[in-house]
Amino acid sequence: MEPFEKDELTEGELDRLLREWNAPAAPARLRAALFLKPRAPWWRRLWTLSIPVPLPIACVLTLLIVVSVWRGAMPRVPQVVVKTERVEVPIVQERVITKYVYKEQKAASGFDIHGLKPVAELRPRIIRSGDAKN
Amino acid sequence: MKIEDAFDTYHQAVFDFVCRVTHRADLAEDLTQECFLALVRAPDRFNPERGSLKTYLFAIARNLVLKNYRDQRESTEPNESDLATDPRSSLEISSAVENAIRALPHLQQEALVLFQYEGLALEEIAQVVGTDVGTVKSRLHRARERLRRELAPFRNVGGVHGTV
Repeated sequence: MEPFEKDELTEGELDRLLREWNAPAAPARLRAALFLKPRAPWWRRLWTLSIPVPLPIACVLTLLIVVSVWRGAMPRVPQVVVKTERVEVPIVQERVITKYVYKEQKAASGFDIHGLKPVAELRPRIIRSGDAKN
Repeated sequence: MKIEDAFDTYHQAVFDFVCRVTHRADLAEDLTQECFLALVRAPDRFNPERGSLKTYLFAIARNLVLKNYRDQRESTEPNESDLATDPRSSLEISSAVENAIRALPHLQQEALVLFQYEGLALEEIAQVVGTDVGTVKSRLHRARERLRRELAPFRNVGGVHGTV
């Protein structure tokens, strides 16, 4: 027996040796045995992809979709289209001259306010409704 | 993660682990299938708070291996006399390594395979085998110590490691 056979491998040597042992690959029929059919390509799986959505959010989204579809199906009120066009209209320009004419007026009854004087004494007289004729 | 995605991600690792521990590809195929069937049948048993899906699958695979080992103890128990007594006579390093690992006690074997070949961390191995990290370290240390002795004659055998 050679002397090195008594020795121990170093950690590195052991790691290198251990890497020499390769296990066989798993056979492809394993998938078929478990899932019956081969896996569809990604673009086909995209059609059956599901995303978990919380129930409240799903309800709100459904409601929004229903409302938008309902509003889309409703007959629309015809809209009044206001179209603004500028039209040039020929205007006959006339000159209007306004003049104020003051007419002198005389008092109709010959009453002149300048002749009035304030009363010296007030003598109020009470007249009853029954004596109104008197 | 969907079960099909889990299968695509981990089936090779599970198969590899079972194959290295049982040393039988046909048995590894059956047990890998059973492992994923268990996940298909009861996906709710997996609790992400207790560990990753990877360690969960390895733990199922390990239990299946142990069950199989108990069922067929007489026929599958490694017989050291069957192993190559003079490993240097074999130029196949791969089979020499396999034989040396097969000769290890089962608990050391699985710890070594999970660490060395499946790349699991010590904590993950502890989860898979249901023990503490210290015990895993101890098993690994003893396994590697024994392999360093057993495989010493192969230090210079083969083209990769030089010639005799």
